[in-house]
Amino acid sequence: MSDTADSKGSVSKKTSDSPGAFARFRASLTGRLIVSAVVWSSLALIIGGVVLSFAFRSYVLTDVDERLELLLDTLVGISEVSPNGEFRFNQPLADQRFMTPYSGWYWQVSEASMEPVRSRSLWDFALYSEHEQRRFALRYSIADGPDGQTVRLAEHDIILPEAERVFHYQVATNMAEVQAAIDRFNWLLFSALALILATVTLALVLQVSYGLRPLRRIRRDLVDVRSGRSARLMSSKDGQLPDDLKPLVDEINGLIDQNDKLLQRARTHVGNLAHALKTPLSVIQNEVDGRDDDGAQLIGRQAKSIRVHIDHHLKRARIAGGGSGPGLPVAARIGKLVNAVQVIAGDKAIETKVTCADGISFDGEKEDFDEIIGNILENAAKWARSKVELDVVRLEQGLRRPMLEIRIEDDGDGVPEEEREALFDRGKRLDEHVPGTGLGLAIVRDIADMYGGNVDLSTATLGGLAVTIMLPAK
Amino acid sequence: MRILIVEDDETLAGQIAGNLKDAGYTYDIAYDGEEGHFLGDTEPYDAVILDLGLPVMDGASILKKWRADDRQMPVLILTARDSWTDKVEGLDAGADDYLAKPFIVEELLARLRALIRRSAGQTSPVLEVGPVRLDTRNSKVMVDGAAVKLTAQEFKLLSYLMHHDGKVISRTELTEHIYDQDFDKDSNTIEVFVNRIRKKLDVPVIHTVRGLGYRMEWGEEHA
Repeated sequence: MSDTADSKGSVSKKTSDSPGAFARFRASLTGRLIVSAVVWSSLALIIGGVVLSFAFRSYVLTDVDERLELLLDTLVGISEVSPNGEFRFNQPLADQRFMTPYSGWYWQVSEASMEPVRSRSLWDFALYSEHEQRRFALRYSIADGPDGQTVRLAEHDIILPEAERVFHYQVATNMAEVQAAIDRFNWLLFSALALILATVTLALVLQVSYGLRPLRRIRRDLVDVRSGRSARLMSSKDGQLPDDLKPLVDEINGLIDQNDKLLQRARTHVGNLAHALKTPLSVIQNEVDGRDDDGAQLIGRQAKSIRVHIDHHLKRARIAGGGSGPGLPVAARIGKLVNAVQVIAGDKAIETKVTCADGISFDGEKEDFDEIIGNILENAAKWARSKVELDVVRLEQGLRRPMLEIRIEDDGDGVPEEEREALFDRGKRLDEHVPGTGLGLAIVRDIADMYGGNVDLSTATLGGLAVTIMLPAK
Repeated sequence: MRILIVEDDETLAGQIAGNLKDAGYTYDIAYDGEEGHFLGDTEPYDAVILDLGLPVMDGASILKKWRADDRQMPVLILTARDSWTDKVEGLDAGADDYLAKPFIVEELLARLRALIRRSAGQTSPVLEVGPVRLDTRNSKVMVDGAAVKLTAQEFKLLSYLMHHDGKVISRTELTEHIYDQDFDKDSNTIEVFVNRIRKKLDVPVIHTVRGLGYRMEWGEEHA
């Protein structure tokens, strides 16, 4: 049972190293929730980041631009044209930043025909100035500065009142500092956003896994149902299930019940059909019994063949399989079976010794237990000289679930080891003289398999055949 | 030996009846549960062949009612339901043996013989009273190893006496157990049969107990 449960248990996800693992994860409910949430939250964070970064950049630039404008106004304020037409400042521009070469702060005043007047900080560099087109408004731009610097440039064409000449004023500052501030801000911003994304993702995983926990519970319950540990989904009972999943579980339980009912009905129909056929079959067999004309013999053989088929399918249809009921107290049931076998054995006196502690229960259906023990006991009684022993032990240690070990021995001649496996073949009997359809051990093994148990044959201490059956215990 | 057959399939009931008759039994047939229960309740049978699946009243219920009313005749259950659970339930209901359909009537007869024998307290299939031997398996009677030819009625009577050897059997009891229910019972004919049997056996085994009936026992009449 455990084998089939594992091999078909596609619900279990231990998939991290197989090729389509991610594809399968994405297709899973957990995957869908996590992937979609991560996608939209990263999108939102990226947009937010870009907007913030843009806003910061324009704020910083505006600040720089205001300072440039102020400087430019100051420059214009102290400018004058001497009576001989020479451009000059009427007071010195005492700012150290304009003195130090390549300090990052520059000014330049130029005229179309004149060598431009520049700040000392420009050293041997002249800012590019356009004189063809006049713009009597403040303009900002990014331009090349001295020493390979990129500068923010503010320029304005001014007509000084003393002279009817146009002077081109330019004030510039190195962008490197501004850019560094922006970069620093961006780095800080995006690492903060990445951290937020990571935290949100982690929270999402936790949320999804917590949110989907009831579904996993249902899955475990379903595994239990299929492996026969329980008859229905137990999660509907203990009240731990959220209200929105209850209808699902109730529906599944309804489906299980309906399935059971259908199975029961099919089984009943098979049974009824088979049983209804048996009476006419008895009549036919008795009618031809003892007659030796060819026709009668043919009918007799066919009737026998029909009987074998009926027995075969009826017995298999009857296997119920699956436990989880209240469990069947073994000792009392064995007592009844021993009694039944003794009655059926007729005049043959068989002493049956049963060793079974009270309180041992079989986890399964009464009909299946009866069929297993009845068939083996009947075999044992058939082959025994006078004694049959039956021992039941409950095993727990080292097993995945508690099992019953039932050992049935007789003091007959036993079966040689090489012939034992043949006993399980359908319709095979080692001794054709003792009546029996030979289906006994085959059906016993089928039922035991159904319960995840097994049947072993060995030599009995009494001398005959020992049959050891392992079945799940309650 | 008088047997009750409770079986709703008339053909099968007829086959069983035919074989019972050949084997020297008297029988009554009931085709439904109610009639079967009534007959078993009112007539003294030596054994009952009871089908479990019956119209009106099922076999297990009949059996439980009989046992509850202290009707203790041996009952052999005949059923198509041959799972071990069915067997255990049948035997729990008070059956003494169990035979699953389809079956050969010979097997049924063998089980029936054993059932009657056991319920009469006999252990061997060959009943012996002094030199008289009755083999229940083939319905042969021998005295000192020589076969004795008996009519069907004579055999029935002797067989009943030998199953209950040592006990006093009244004429009424004999009548009840060798004739079916439709027979016009006249206990005088019993006397005629007993005398014929005595003559054929030619050994003193059947004793008349005055005013009570007959007793089967080896040896000369005493008291």
